[in-house]
Amino acid sequence: MNPFALAYREQQQLFIFDRTYLLGTLLKVGGLATLIARFIVQFFWNPALACTLTLLLLALSAFMTWSLVKNSWKDWTAIPLCLIPSFLIGVSLSDNSLHYEFLTSILLVQAGLLMFKSTKNRKLLWGSLLTIILYLTSGPAAILFALSAAVIEKSWKSLTYPIVALICVIAAYFTAAVPTWSFAFSPALYYDLDATLPVIHWGSWISLLVVVLCCEISKSLHWKRWIALTSGLVLALLVFIPTRQYLNRIKQEQPHLGYVFEHFTNNEDWDGLIEACKKAPWLPRTANYLNMALAWKGELADQLLKYDQHGPDGLVMTTKDRAVDVVQAHIMFAMGNVAAAQDVAFNTLSSLQGFCPAMLKINAQVELMRGSYEVADKYLSLLAKTPHYRKWAIEHRKFLYDDAAVESDSVLGSGRRNLSAKNRFIMYTNPMTELFPILDANPYDKRSLEYGLCYLLLSKDLNSVKHYIQDYYSSPDSPELPRIAQEAMVFYSEYSRNIDGIEPFGFDWCYEHGVQPETVKRFEEYQKAAVAGPVSLRRFRETYWYYLVHKEI
Amino acid sequence: MRMNRIINIIISLTVTLTAYSCSSKPEGATQSGEEAPVFPDYKEVTIPANIAPLNFSFLGEGTAVLLSGDKVIRSRRGTFRFSPRKWRQLLEGCSDNGTIAMTVFAKKKGTWISYRPFNIYVSQDRIDPWFSYRLIPPGYQGWQEMGIYQRNLETYSEKAILTNDLTGGNCMNCHTYRGGDPSKMVFHARASFGGTVMVNDGEIEKLNTQTDSTISALVYPYWHPSGEYVAFSVNKTFQAFHNHDPNRIEVYDQASDVVVYNVKTHEIAWSPLTKSKDRFETFPTFSPDGKWLYFCSAQAVEPMPNKYKEVRYGLYRIAFNQESMAFGDSLECIYDAPADSASVSFPRISPDGRFLCFTRHGYGNFSIWHKDADLWMVDLADGLVKLLEGVNSEDVDSFHTWSADGRWMVFSSRRDDGLYTKPYFTHIDSEGNATKPFLLPQKDPVNYYKRLMKSYNLPAFTTDKVSVSKRKLTDVLRNSPGTDVKVK
Repeated sequence: MNPFALAYREQQQLFIFDRTYLLGTLLKVGGLATLIARFIVQFFWNPALACTLTLLLLALSAFMTWSLVKNSWKDWTAIPLCLIPSFLIGVSLSDNSLHYEFLTSILLVQAGLLMFKSTKNRKLLWGSLLTIILYLTSGPAAILFALSAAVIEKSWKSLTYPIVALICVIAAYFTAAVPTWSFAFSPALYYDLDATLPVIHWGSWISLLVVVLCCEISKSLHWKRWIALTSGLVLALLVFIPTRQYLNRIKQEQPHLGYVFEHFTNNEDWDGLIEACKKAPWLPRTANYLNMALAWKGELADQLLKYDQHGPDGLVMTTKDRAVDVVQAHIMFAMGNVAAAQDVAFNTLSSLQGFCPAMLKINAQVELMRGSYEVADKYLSLLAKTPHYRKWAIEHRKFLYDDAAVESDSVLGSGRRNLSAKNRFIMYTNPMTELFPILDANPYDKRSLEYGLCYLLLSKDLNSVKHYIQDYYSSPDSPELPRIAQEAMVFYSEYSRNIDGIEPFGFDWCYEHGVQPETVKRFEEYQKAAVAGPVSLRRFRETYWYYLVHKEI
Repeated sequence: MRMNRIINIIISLTVTLTAYSCSSKPEGATQSGEEAPVFPDYKEVTIPANIAPLNFSFLGEGTAVLLSGDKVIRSRRGTFRFSPRKWRQLLEGCSDNGTIAMTVFAKKKGTWISYRPFNIYVSQDRIDPWFSYRLIPPGYQGWQEMGIYQRNLETYSEKAILTNDLTGGNCMNCHTYRGGDPSKMVFHARASFGGTVMVNDGEIEKLNTQTDSTISALVYPYWHPSGEYVAFSVNKTFQAFHNHDPNRIEVYDQASDVVVYNVKTHEIAWSPLTKSKDRFETFPTFSPDGKWLYFCSAQAVEPMPNKYKEVRYGLYRIAFNQESMAFGDSLECIYDAPADSASVSFPRISPDGRFLCFTRHGYGNFSIWHKDADLWMVDLADGLVKLLEGVNSEDVDSFHTWSADGRWMVFSSRRDDGLYTKPYFTHIDSEGNATKPFLLPQKDPVNYYKRLMKSYNLPAFTTDKVSVSKRKLTDVLRNSPGTDVKVK
């Protein structure tokens, strides 16, 4: 069970203490299980808490399974058997496409079975009623209840429960409460809409029924211990192969990296994000997160080449599909391209299981920047109805209808100035084309400025770097030219004097545009080291010269 | 003992309720002369006699009460709620000229203030009892949930006609009825389980509408009054997001044509005048007598989207022969909007054929994202084009449909927050004059609309409830291979 994958579930929903939300969720098939799941998952912003709560629920599930079978089994040997369903559900929950209500629906069913077992009178009526109630509140998991109840009762009359469950399935289908038959009778209801349900989740789902069945069959047999051990072994073997295959698939796809990165990003823990990225293999998306963390710390240009870089995709990797891409929204926001961030964040906000809190926050911030206070108020009101985001929402409410406060805030004020750039379609060409007008409107946005500079540097487009420095680093109040840009210009100056087709420019130009004499001196040392060989070059690994000559993009 | 307790509770509740409903008029109130800060703004609106109670909220400080005639209504958490019985009493008790007079009082720091009184005018023209709409997040690219819903205007009851959780989370759009007849409906589903769904007197049919001769599947529909044809546009549509323009999103066509679909033969046909390479034709609509096909047409512009602001649509019509499915051989310009540096979209003709209401804006065709979009009217009797006075706002006022009797119109407006579209209703008299529109009533309008994260899209009246089965619609979309549309 990956704590970060569990924690990311919190970003796939927004539990709102609101009558409309609560009623709207409750009135769907399996609504109560969904509501309980969402209530619990809202606390998953902390991975440790997510793990602890999930383990507690799995333990509760194992305890309820034990409570169900202990009377018939009458000794401890059923304990390993009772642990298997919880174990399997835990494995299944590693798949974030499987909703958390998979677990809560089973808990409701177990509670229902315990209630049913303790009923003495009118058992048939209560069993039938519980089947209906559980179908409405937990969805198809009620079928597990009906079959388990029939197994426990072992009479012809008890077949009523599966029949009632079947009627519920038919009713759900024909009233279009579910899209297809499989949603009405299988765990597909707890899986992403119209995605293929992996077989292992079926195993997890029916394991409770199998355990009940095993216990009821073997309780009257004197060699039940052997049965317990054998069935436990058989079940374990049955689940071992698909579980291993499933875990391998998860490992190969490495989705957990994204969950780790998103966790640190959403908590604005930039040091944590950098450390997490260091441990991950180089991928454009890893570099995207790493460089974004550096940008928020104000160290993008200074620290860029301390890390492995392979071209501008490491800064921002654009995709054609702008519909669901939380990373893109975070990066565009960090770059200062807040309109692009909003476009992606809005589409992403509405595309997951519920409202993604991080995307809702970006939308609220951009609406404050735009001065669209009614819409910002709408989003902040939603966030204020959640325990975890209430404080953030209240802090941001002070900006509503207060332009002066917005403009004086470092993030919102800068964003508002960026939005005043000359209008254009965003994400239409490439990130730099959009960054230039933003910098023209707000040349003091350090993050935008460094993103632009680093993009050109990583592209090895030295002529553009030179023009960029002329345009944005040459005024008296411009920031100091970052070391790597100085190195680039010293190299380009030398290069321009030896290569035809480039307008030559000397170190005088470099000195006038922020290059320090110390950089020229180091360049001379670099040239000597380059002649001496790779060992001598080691101390220049973090220089732009090394990146330019030795890194492929 | 227990019985006494119950009686006490009943008495307490009765006293409380009586206090709420029959409070005395605030005495000695100071007249502020200001307009009452209420939402929705129902001041001076005209409403049909069969509309659901117009609950509204007082947005100012202090405790508020509402005085209407001799009735005093206290607000509950700032909201004036009318029970159906009380609302009926108000409607029945209004003056001879159909006016309900209202005054809002607020108690601030122990002093009563009375705001400027206002009226609600009750028209005896009844509104169609149902209207349907799509609920969708206003980004139109990403969504998890969307659906086509219907609402009873006489109550607060809302039902889903079809939601996309039944069809793989896909997009569904362009629901249209023949003159408000709920038994004749068409809409599209896109992506997985895509197709055009025709509902025709209980028969449900899925159509595959992409042909080799047309640039796209069928898009914007309009039923012929006979029910035998549906006019559609075919569009190559794209969407882009502005950095900083009051119009956040630009939806533009790179090509578009207008075709007519024969419901019985599954054939489409067109005229060279509705499918020309050098023009963009879109938004078809039939005249109520079925003899004319109106549509919007613009000179094609290249390259798009660079020149998106140069695309301006005028309003044209071409004769249509219902018997032969043939088109006339000339176009008639109804309104040369480009000559006024304007563009036209969504032409809709009143059921009596007298007026054509359209959306006018600076450029392009997707007016729902254009802040300058307003409703205009052409008097087809004399060709006079005029702004629909009293209806429009500073923000978007766009997509509209007529009620079956032509006395009411519903349209989409972003006037409240600039982003989330809401449905507004206006009364249109026999001379084409409109009244101040009113927002779709809700039980708790402030909380409802603030909480709503979706836009009301494509509002359309129906004369009765759409009773097509969700199950059947789902099964047809998911399982039917669909009928291929042919070219005539």
